[in-house]
Amino acid sequence: MAWKSIETKHYEERDAFFRGLGRVSRRSFFKLAGVSAAAALAKGLVTPQSFQLVELAWAADDGGQAKPKFTFAYISDAHLYEQKLNDRFVRAILKAVDDVNALDPQPDFVLFGGDLAQLGQPKELTLGRDILKTVKAPVKMMVGEHDWFLDMGALWQQYFGPTHYSWDHKGVHFVTIMSVVEKDFWTARGMTPMQRMQTVAGLDNGVQSRFEVGEEGRKWLSDDLAKVDKATPVVVFSHSPLYKYYRPWNFWTDDADDVQAILRPFQHVTVIHGHTHQLLTNRIGNIQFHGMLSTAWPWPYAPEGLPKLTVQMNRADPFDQFDGCGDGAVDVLENGLANALYNLWDRNPITVKASYVASDGGQDRPPTTKLPSF
Amino acid sequence: MTKTSGLALVAALVVALGGGWLARSRAEAPHHAVPPSADGNLVVGLCDGVTSAEVQGVKEGERLTRSQAQAVSDQLMEEWRRKNPQANWDDARAVHVAQAAQGGALEQSVPPPEGSRPGASIKFGGAGAAEGAREAAQTKQGGAPQGQTGGGAGGMPAGPQGPVQDGHTYGAFSQRDVDIWKAATDEFVAQGDRIFHSADLLGGTIGVSCDMCHPNAANTHPETYPKFQVQFGRVALLRDMINWCIENPVRGKPLPDDDFKLRALEAYILAQRRGVPLEYGKH
Amino acid sequence: MSRQTPRLAVLAGLIVALPFVSRADDASVPKLPLGISRTLYEVSVPKGAEPTPEKAALGDKLFNDKRLSVNDGVSCATCHDPQKGFVDHKPLAEGVAAPKERTKRNSPTVLNAMFNATQFWDGRAPSLEEQAKLPILNPIEMGQKTPDDVVAKVRKVPEYAQAFQKLNGREPTYDDIASAIAAFERTQMAGDSPFDRFIAGDEKAIDASAKRGWALFNGKGRCTNCHAFGTTSPLFSDQKFHNIGIAAHKTDFIGLARRATTIVRSGDLKQIDEVAIQSDLTELGRFLVTKQSNDIGAFKTPTLRNIAITGPYMHDGSMPTLWDVMDHYNKGGVPNPNLDGGMQRLGLTEAEIDDMVAFLATLTSDRFAAFGKHEMARQRGQKTKRPERDTDAAMGRKGNLGDLAPNPNLKNPAGIGVILPPKS
Repeated sequence: MAWKSIETKHYEERDAFFRGLGRVSRRSFFKLAGVSAAAALAKGLVTPQSFQLVELAWAADDGGQAKPKFTFAYISDAHLYEQKLNDRFVRAILKAVDDVNALDPQPDFVLFGGDLAQLGQPKELTLGRDILKTVKAPVKMMVGEHDWFLDMGALWQQYFGPTHYSWDHKGVHFVTIMSVVEKDFWTARGMTPMQRMQTVAGLDNGVQSRFEVGEEGRKWLSDDLAKVDKATPVVVFSHSPLYKYYRPWNFWTDDADDVQAILRPFQHVTVIHGHTHQLLTNRIGNIQFHGMLSTAWPWPYAPEGLPKLTVQMNRADPFDQFDGCGDGAVDVLENGLANALYNLWDRNPITVKASYVASDGGQDRPPTTKLPSF
Repeated sequence: MTKTSGLALVAALVVALGGGWLARSRAEAPHHAVPPSADGNLVVGLCDGVTSAEVQGVKEGERLTRSQAQAVSDQLMEEWRRKNPQANWDDARAVHVAQAAQGGALEQSVPPPEGSRPGASIKFGGAGAAEGAREAAQTKQGGAPQGQTGGGAGGMPAGPQGPVQDGHTYGAFSQRDVDIWKAATDEFVAQGDRIFHSADLLGGTIGVSCDMCHPNAANTHPETYPKFQVQFGRVALLRDMINWCIENPVRGKPLPDDDFKLRALEAYILAQRRGVPLEYGKH
Repeated sequence: MSRQTPRLAVLAGLIVALPFVSRADDASVPKLPLGISRTLYEVSVPKGAEPTPEKAALGDKLFNDKRLSVNDGVSCATCHDPQKGFVDHKPLAEGVAAPKERTKRNSPTVLNAMFNATQFWDGRAPSLEEQAKLPILNPIEMGQKTPDDVVAKVRKVPEYAQAFQKLNGREPTYDDIASAIAAFERTQMAGDSPFDRFIAGDEKAIDASAKRGWALFNGKGRCTNCHAFGTTSPLFSDQKFHNIGIAAHKTDFIGLARRATTIVRSGDLKQIDEVAIQSDLTELGRFLVTKQSNDIGAFKTPTLRNIAITGPYMHDGSMPTLWDVMDHYNKGGVPNPNLDGGMQRLGLTEAEIDDMVAFLATLTSDRFAAFGKHEMARQRGQKTKRPERDTDAAMGRKGNLGDLAPNPNLKNPAGIGVILPPKS
């Protein structure tokens, strides 16, 4: 079944319209966020009110250190139900697919950040898989807890392959791990698979175990990184944050300290994580952490434990299903670190730069929140 | 209940029980040897077996006046409290409701037990309560002798600050009342909890429940109502917004004002925000 | 959008502060029409800037005077006709360059314009005074080349020279002219509608269909988030900017935005005015002023008061009747990359649309009652032509344009939030 959002159909109609007028320009449909560097500089896009194009970062005279080497995009936390039950989340993921497909130039790949399904149902995973097939760039999949705990990952692995894998790309070592392993809390309680899934699906019930990478996962990571030079930039994709933010909501990785220890020897490590559905920034030692936005709904900030580097996104407006949601891109820089572009729907985009994180908030601070959640 | 009569009661109990115990094993019976006074003054021992107080100006074998006895008891109690700071002695302190989020229970003093004599009005609570108690007793027309209010086994408990007011109207509730009331309230809040977390119970048609955007009722800020609610362009109360959320993000039918579910949700949300100061109109 | 928030913060601050900061001299606040709240007046008219009768009368004359234009052919009233709801009932305004060249924007009404946080569809003018200055100098609206030309012309008219001398004790400047026009505009408050009487307690002021429409307005129609109405803030507008997808099907937003970032000089009001009125970049709306991607294609929420008599609708006048407007919203607007996330299909039936239009018709002030009836009859006559209607999209049979709630069954579906009861 061909998955085309209504927006895509309109893009096609407009394409035809302009072709008819002899004014066709493929480049016209691109979101401004994707304007390529040279073009931006050539046009002198430095007007004070223009939104922060990621590329403007290189206006600074730093010998090109902050120049992006390449970019990848992400779509995360889609939480799909079957469409006839809930069309809203489908509409949202299609919007994200349109966003990434409209980028010019196209990103090197698109990361899916986990929680493709809401309750791990076969219909949900199949729906998600079919939608993601329409993404033009290659897609890298990462598993979330909503995908796993109905059948303990059977269908996920059948569709999308192993949960732990790594690859090298343009001098950067990428690792995807599963960080939503949970110690068995269901057998003693005599839970059915659906009950287990529903327990995991609730953020605040406190019944499920805390997330962890687990011993096997950590061993896999150790072995994988053993072959990597310490100067090679490492980017880790993880669903849970790989640090300890707020335990009651499982914004938490229990063995975070151990995982961070495995990553410590490397000069430049960036962790891109999902699960938290909010703009989230942290730095622990040599590791920079960037959270991804969800397409489905935003989480409020936790009452405590918020990393001090995080500049909160504005509180979401419940009238607007897209507010507080979105997708994004990550520019991997020459120096091995990464700038995270948050493409917040219905808001101006926000870039959280590696320089901001590295300077512990001293420079390049993202715009402050007007209205925090509380 | 005054300290002296309370003390007397406890002492009597100790003797009664201790006597029985003693009867079983006279050989191991503990014996509180009060230190003798150098001047031959009366030395009174406390039931803890170690504390004692010397009464100046009263010789061994003499009777103490009421006020002297009260003063001696006070002194002994103070000494005992100093030695036992962790002791869970139920004294007649003022009732106050916990301000901070200190778990679930309302903090309570032990209210006067049943059968307390009505009309007893001894001030209690805070520093100088004992003074106040004596003052109040003094101003009474006849009635009980100074410092005495109820009596017997069912008399009012006495603490350092004095006895607790009693009565049959709401303000003189008992611990049993507190327990029942708390259970009832928590039951209601628990119902709200269930509904808050269930798209079906909310009447939602798209599988979205409140906790998806508001885990533990975060970001509901009920303490800011009434306020101008942008989503409807006018001032709103919490329940207006609950209904609006049910209609919009949750895609259910808004609940009528007298619907149990609406009230239960309100209860749950308010309960999660315990201790947060009220700040109406805050955005 | 960020430009608006300081104003909103000020507004909110003032509303909160109002119980404590009231006008010492009550005579300075004129008698307000029913439905216009004191808060709205005090927030919009700074103390000391209340119009005096002399100034307003002078402004009235200037407003209607064609000599202000370069060819003596166009006055403010040409596009903002006081007899016709202060609009011209044309889709796009036509000035001195008509018929060869029309402007690119629809004329907004002056009625209640004093209560807007900013003026123009894109909010490029911060006040009525600043707004009045721009069309006079726009090449295709009133065509004057420089402010000095205007001032010279006005000074030559003895009536004006005398009036300004009396008013200010000196010869008029361009600011004075704008100030007088603004003073006149500040007398054009319009409340006193059947809806206002209904809110004030008269159950019979509007009919059952309009009452159902009012309920839908607050519920299924999803109108109040932008077209906010409360007794303290009765403007039916949040004064923010939203992209609702008007003309999106023929607009290349991204291409236009890329051009605009290079062409438009931020802060240059005159240039932005010309770009907005004369060029195809007009469709960018608020983006021309802020250059923020969130503002691409976003236009200010207009008031709905007197909406029946201020057609055609939208920034480009592309909606001839209120039924067309309802069709546009019913299908969820026209999708485009910057469509406001609040836009979605509504699933309204024809009967519900009729009810909502009936409600909107009750927002016409009494002094225009007859004209309102006439306009509604005319629009109703065009009901069969419905180019915007897309029932399949509205009902969800095609596209992913939003989910609907089940129809509410409350006793009073409009009873959400607080409408202050009438003062007894």
